[in-house]
Amino acid sequence: MTRARGTDGSLLSSLPWTLAALAVGALPHLPYLPIWITAASVGCALWRIVIEKRRMPVPPAWFRGALAVGGFVSVYMSYGTISGVGPGTALLAVMAALKLLEVRRRRDQFVLLFIAVFLNMAALLREQYVWSLPFLLLSLVVTMAAWLRMAAPSEQPLRQSVTGAARFIGYALPLAVAMWAFFPRIATPFWSVPIDTSSGVTGLSDTMSPGDITSLSQSDRVAFRVRFDAEPPPPRDRYWRAIVLHRFNGRTWSGSSPVPDHRFRERTEFLGDPIDYEITLEPTRTQRLMSLDLPESWDFERTHVSRANTLWRELPVDQRSVYRVRSYPRFRLDAELSDFGKSWYLGLPDGRNPEARALAQTMRASAESDRDYIGQVLRMFNVDSYHYTLQPPALGANPVDRFLFDTKRGFCEHYASAFAVLMRAAGIPARVVLGYQGGELNPLGDYLIVRQADAHAWTEVWLDGTGWQRVDPTAAVAPERIESGRSDAALDGSGAAWGLSAPSRLAYRLGMAWDALNARWNELILAYGPENQKRLMRWLGFENPDWQRLLFVLLGTVAALITLVHVLLVLRFRPPPHDRARRLYERFVRRTGIEPLPAETPLDFERRVADVVDPATAARITRAYLDARYGDGGENALDDLGRAVRTFRRRAPA
Amino acid sequence: MRLASPTLSWLPDIREQAGQRIRRWARRRQGRDGLVATLRPGRVYILPTGVGIVFGIMAFAMLLGAMNYNNNLAFLLTFLLVGLGFVSMHCCQRNLVGLEIAFAGVEPVFAGDTACFRIALNNRSKNQRCQIWLTGGDKPGYAVDLPPRGSEVLVVPVVTERRGRVRLQRFAVRTRYPFELFRAWAWLHMEPDGLVYPTLATRPPLPPTSVAALGHRQHDARGEEDFAGLRKFQRGDSPRNVAWKTYARAGQLFSKRFSGADTSSQWFDFEALAGYDLEARLSILARWVVDADRRGEDYGLRLPGHEFAPAHGPAQRLNCLEALALFGDDASS
Repeated sequence: MTRARGTDGSLLSSLPWTLAALAVGALPHLPYLPIWITAASVGCALWRIVIEKRRMPVPPAWFRGALAVGGFVSVYMSYGTISGVGPGTALLAVMAALKLLEVRRRRDQFVLLFIAVFLNMAALLREQYVWSLPFLLLSLVVTMAAWLRMAAPSEQPLRQSVTGAARFIGYALPLAVAMWAFFPRIATPFWSVPIDTSSGVTGLSDTMSPGDITSLSQSDRVAFRVRFDAEPPPPRDRYWRAIVLHRFNGRTWSGSSPVPDHRFRERTEFLGDPIDYEITLEPTRTQRLMSLDLPESWDFERTHVSRANTLWRELPVDQRSVYRVRSYPRFRLDAELSDFGKSWYLGLPDGRNPEARALAQTMRASAESDRDYIGQVLRMFNVDSYHYTLQPPALGANPVDRFLFDTKRGFCEHYASAFAVLMRAAGIPARVVLGYQGGELNPLGDYLIVRQADAHAWTEVWLDGTGWQRVDPTAAVAPERIESGRSDAALDGSGAAWGLSAPSRLAYRLGMAWDALNARWNELILAYGPENQKRLMRWLGFENPDWQRLLFVLLGTVAALITLVHVLLVLRFRPPPHDRARRLYERFVRRTGIEPLPAETPLDFERRVADVVDPATAARITRAYLDARYGDGGENALDDLGRAVRTFRRRAPA
Repeated sequence: MRLASPTLSWLPDIREQAGQRIRRWARRRQGRDGLVATLRPGRVYILPTGVGIVFGIMAFAMLLGAMNYNNNLAFLLTFLLVGLGFVSMHCCQRNLVGLEIAFAGVEPVFAGDTACFRIALNNRSKNQRCQIWLTGGDKPGYAVDLPPRGSEVLVVPVVTERRGRVRLQRFAVRTRYPFELFRAWAWLHMEPDGLVYPTLATRPPLPPTSVAALGHRQHDARGEEDFAGLRKFQRGDSPRNVAWKTYARAGQLFSKRFSGADTSSQWFDFEALAGYDLEARLSILARWVVDADRRGEDYGLRLPGHEFAPAHGPAQRLNCLEALALFGDDASS
């Protein structure tokens, strides 16, 4: 049992800064941390300050041990696990709070500063906004300033700590940027730990059950951004394909999981001109990748095309990713479909939605052809009292029947589902495609913003001879949903139809500018990866960049930058240059042949050398020297001194 | 713990031996320094501290995390820390390189006391040098900041044991600036000597009063034959010599001084202390010298082969004590 000793107040100069570093590091975590952890941490910090001010002893070891066990158990109880960023951060906060009650010597604060650094790291794993970088630098300055104050044995002026920390970070920054640019990135994670972030929510689900959802949230969250190499396609061609659903149980549409086999890919003929573009995809936590109807090639690794022509990746997209795709808006898909294939896309559950099936059969019988039938159904949606609404009423056990004959109100899912059922009932193979439609052109960044609110469902029908064809029944009931981008709708006031208030132009512009900044940030910083590195290396003149060359450039650059830092330091610490005046004067002294005495002033020396040197010359040299070195004689005096010394000759001893 | 400690007890020994080897190697490599030395880069050694090693491990862990999540901002933070490590290493070394170190003297001490070797650190650059301290003495030093073009005198304390000369074999200039991730140091072998007087005897016999010198000393060592003037009263002056009349007039204490053939008749003789061994004799003589000096008396010292005529003042004290310190030391005479 150790005797509790009072603290000596020696931490007072550095502890507030250590606390500030911890606070700044914890700030981004506050929305995620259980409130009791925040309260306990702040409590411990205040307690510690009181302890230090009053020179009280720190709490005894058994008390701290009990708190540690309690904190650990509480975190486990709160989260149900201790792995992952959320519980990890909570544990860090608990550890910091407990360590605060333990530190007695200045050195112990290292642990707290390490925790502050880890808190910063965890915050970056959670989210990487544009302001995350300046915040990170600020946080690092605070942490390193606290570090300097702790390492300094005595009171250090505050300004000195802060400027010192900023200077060291300034030295380290070019090094960090070089390492960041050239450190080889790999795509495969070593392990997978869940990160609970605010991002990663998608407007798309794997299944579709119209009638279950009575209100579609209009999330303004960005799903992805697209930069086109050439002109963007017109709004009616902006169908971003993600999932294809073919199975219907009367209520819910579902698809099959993607199969990594190219043999199953539908026979595709690409027609017309391609569109090349780059997508910056926000993390989705799913394997789906969006592409414009219909993707031909892409440059994202471990990515395949499914049999229904959607792109999917072997790993979930956990990080913001950038990939390039070439798509053809005109194509012929599976011109021939086997009977087995047809049956795959014709299935309807027995005994469900009988009214819809009856209607389909009647209408098909009166129509001349499949195309005519499709046109009639679309006209029905357009002319009859069908409405597009984001708040449709709930539907019962036969949602398609209820929608078609009773409520007649719904959004894209209702129309796509009903349309597909009507097609299948009439013997036309049909399927539902989920994805995004449209997107908002940002005039400031010249790219397309696709938001979660742009999530859309449409259908594809198979017609003999032409293959799969896209039919969007929503376009029939609400053509402006398809024809116009949302921004236009918002600007001319018609956006009110979608439940949006008309924003002012300034706010709109500011919003667009902010989004353009975010888009750049995402493309250049967050999605920086192997492709960018390859491009950078090619720009540097490496024809076939591989990771060995990358490593070579990395080491070379780092070595060069370290040398630069070294040279800078050598220059800063160099001894004063021997000044020219002094050199000239010393030459004069040497030529007199008389040894100067220690601490002899030039005037004394002048008097002493009078018998070997012409007194006028000695006086002139001494004057010029004193004037050049200590007076304000400047260059003139220096030149005079130079001339005098050069022409000086020792007088022959008389 | 009881089991573990004996088995691990050789660890400090190994450390100590390795340290000695390395220091001997450095001495051979560097040779003996002059009393002024400027630190060249080649003799400033640098190693990571414990904190630095933990820092490195932390940076590596963060690199793994950044690679795992392929998180570019996490990469940036990691590389900023790595960069800070590199910069801190170079700053730490440069904090010492170019530093001018000069031996600035040591005051003589009595054996058993601590000799304080003064070492001047001179920063000739326009940049501040921070948190530099000296080790090599018997007590840890404290760190100082050297302002641009500034200098500072630090002390390396060495506890003395025996009279004679004490040598500062080696001392080190150290720094851990800026973040204590690295420790840089330079060993210096200026090998300056300090003088160590004999320990003052605690209970010396009474000094001989007015003996041998001229043979006719009657009663007092201070010589009271002819009045020679007044001087300010000093502690130890006999009340009999105080000029009370002057005191009555001026209100200040003065002592009467007398000159005479006999003023310096106090002799401290080595041979007279026959009953003591060598060191005890020297200690007693040192005590007598110090006491007589404190009283402002004249005294002479007679050692075999050495004789200091009676006198008083700092020079006499210095000469006598030095002779006592180096007594028997052939190299010094």
